Amino acid sequence: MTSTYDITLNVHRYDPDKERKWIQTYQLEAGRIMRFVDVLRKINDTDDSTLAWGSSCEHGQCGTCSMKINGKPLLSCELLVENAVKYFGTTTFTVEPLDVAPVVRDLVVDTEKAYERIDRVKPYIINPVLQDEDEMEHQISPETLERYVDATRCINCFCCVSACISSHENFLGPNAMLAAIVRIMDPREQEKQERLDCLYSADGVYRCHSSQACSFVCPKEIDVAHFIALAKEGAL
Amino acid sequence: MSTTFKIQTTTHCDVLIIGAGGAALRCAAEILEKTPDADVIALTKVSHPQKSHTSTAQGGLAAVDPKDPLDSTLFHMFDTWKGSDCTADQNVVKKICESAWEQILWLENRGMHFSRDPQGQLSKRTFGGHTRNFGETSVHRAVFEADRTGKGIMDTGWGETLKRGITFINQCLAVELLIKDKQCGGCVVYKQKEGEFIRILAKATIFASGGSGQVFQVTTNCRQNTGDGLALALESGLPVMDPEAVQFHPTGIVGPGILASETLRSVGGILRNQALEPFMINYAPKMKELAPRDMVARAIESEIREGRGILNPDHNIPHVWIDLRHLPDEVHEKQIPEVSSFFKRYVNLDPKKELCPVRPSNHYHMGGIPTNEFGEVQNEQQETIAGLYAVGECAAASFHGFNRLGTNSILELITMGKLVAERVVEHIKDEPKSRLDIGVDQFAKRFSRYMGATGGDSLGELRNKMRSVMTEKVSVFRTETGIKDAIETLNELKERADNTAIAGRGLAMNQELVQRWELDNLLAVSMVICLAALDRKESRGAHFRDDYPVRKDDFNYHTLISMVEFGTPELGRREVDMSVFKAGGERYEMFDIIERKY
Repeated sequence: MTSTYDITLNVHRYDPDKERKWIQTYQLEAGRIMRFVDVLRKINDTDDSTLAWGSSCEHGQCGTCSMKINGKPLLSCELLVENAVKYFGTTTFTVEPLDVAPVVRDLVVDTEKAYERIDRVKPYIINPVLQDEDEMEHQISPETLERYVDATRCINCFCCVSACISSHENFLGPNAMLAAIVRIMDPREQEKQERLDCLYSADGVYRCHSSQACSFVCPKEIDVAHFIALAKEGAL
Repeated sequence: MSTTFKIQTTTHCDVLIIGAGGAALRCAAEILEKTPDADVIALTKVSHPQKSHTSTAQGGLAAVDPKDPLDSTLFHMFDTWKGSDCTADQNVVKKICESAWEQILWLENRGMHFSRDPQGQLSKRTFGGHTRNFGETSVHRAVFEADRTGKGIMDTGWGETLKRGITFINQCLAVELLIKDKQCGGCVVYKQKEGEFIRILAKATIFASGGSGQVFQVTTNCRQNTGDGLALALESGLPVMDPEAVQFHPTGIVGPGILASETLRSVGGILRNQALEPFMINYAPKMKELAPRDMVARAIESEIREGRGILNPDHNIPHVWIDLRHLPDEVHEKQIPEVSSFFKRYVNLDPKKELCPVRPSNHYHMGGIPTNEFGEVQNEQQETIAGLYAVGECAAASFHGFNRLGTNSILELITMGKLVAERVVEHIKDEPKSRLDIGVDQFAKRFSRYMGATGGDSLGELRNKMRSVMTEKVSVFRTETGIKDAIETLNELKERADNTAIAGRGLAMNQELVQRWELDNLLAVSMVICLAALDRKESRGAHFRDDYPVRKDDFNYHTLISMVEFGTPELGRREVDMSVFKAGGERYEMFDIIERKY
């Protein structure tokens, strides 16, 4: 069994101070179970401390470290070197920032800008169904919850937005639609009309080409396209 | 090239929260519900509030459902008190346990997707240390959202604050606290994206800056948990309470540090050393793998220290094995599927066929910025600082004492978040405007020093050295010699850090500069952990001294430690609140100094 790999990373870099873009090549030895976040950290610690990239929890729960490796949007904390070599059939990797918002520096994008689409769909209960009795929980049967619970697992890593083939600039995008769909299906939300208006607007579901790329790349394995299909059919 | 550091703008607000995790958002939501016109700004180091460490909490929230005939708030209070090794403050324990269910309903009513029972009500599960009748038998007390309860809290808190018009400043650091004459007026903020320093003046400032897990080599904590709030408090002349109380989980997965849960051992997983010997029999002959968490953690650490561990070459981390190969397929598939999938995903191993690497992983910091039961920050003399509050993992009220019960951490975020908000709402009503007369000077000196250094060390290497020494000498077990060694190393690292040059010269998204600042914070927090651990010549909860292995009544107090100058501490004490015991109410004797035996 190979214990280490000699890998080459071609990293798309951007320096905001000089407004300069370039591709920088890093060659290093990487252990088989190093993850791409570990590889980037190794570059920072031993070779180039200026390379900027983002991460937070580093175990697939927060969606900060998403980037494109050989064109595929993914969470870099979940990609082991060994698996990457096997999956892509090469030891050379192109590393790019996610193309969902302007780049701030190197692999760091302006997440706030990306989130503007989520904010538009109001990711909260706009108008809650009031309880007969105060201080009571709503009754939601496990069957009702089961219909939409998968959609609540989204961590807004924006991999789906990056993979989506819809080219319409103002398209809400898969994860924002998912956030809207959750509250349409949630029995605690009274304000369905505003949500439906948003979902069926010119920026909504009909911009989707049903390529299912969103489901294919979702690191949480959420079948995003299934929920969008339900919306298209009016079956939410 | 010299860079000058100037304040670009000054912003005014009613409430400034340093942090945007679970505690911050619950607190902000309450303030905005009660005073919709309030200007609330929340700062976060991460790229968006949803990326906060709270999002990773899995298990659940402990809360006694008043409809449950088998459970009672008094039992929850007792479990917390006992779990804390009699060092939690009983006034705080009472307040939090009593308000727990109300806060669960707050979350549910605002859209958190709790798991449900067949009747459509909130499902409950049992957890270690949760009992009824004062330890008699286990009880179902924890509500949860599948294995992503923290994410549910974050999504709800973020949604509610967004709805009510909060202002978030993402990817920024609070680099200097504006504090004078026992009053706080806001702080200086470095906005990473813009590369700018701004001043925010506020009527109330709230620390909600999270934990410090990055002090250790293997941790469940996120990359941003570098103890910044504690370091900022220390720098401002404020004390930190019980920094030596740090919780470790015995079996973290090598690599990401995430937990390989207790279940692995309860279904029959066997811990083995380098020679593949099952070593638990040497430490706990009867209980073996089922011994309490702290014993298992110390056993693993002993094996590693005595050279019977295995070094993982990819992560350069010593570990032992957990052997699950002998377990039937059914156990793998039905009882431990998620942990099995973690091993597959992060170490590429099949637990059915291969040994899996685990070692103790840092999990939680019980210690923090001392507050009273309302979250008001106290100085060394235990006087409150007007306009300054602390809540969440960075704070010590203290709900957890020297050992935290599972599911009590995220409960603290939402209950104390609300309680602090009530206090803040009163304060901003009375306070006509924020203080303008507090000078700003520290940050510029500090950042000029960072940018002016010319030495050749690597920040990453220094950070790794610090994390190794803290893990080897000051984690699950501690001795006087070991702690003193660690202090020596920290002093040396501090000196080297002060001389380390930063290659990137721009200020916008200069992650190296951020790491430099974080390293100072980590070193300061490591140092106070060491100094407090050295001073506490006994073992209590998560603090275990090999040379003083039992708890002593002489140490029934909280440690207070101040350290404005690195390595020059001032130690003090705070009495443990035993008001429940003293009140002499129902079963008050259970709240005396009792043995922590399970």
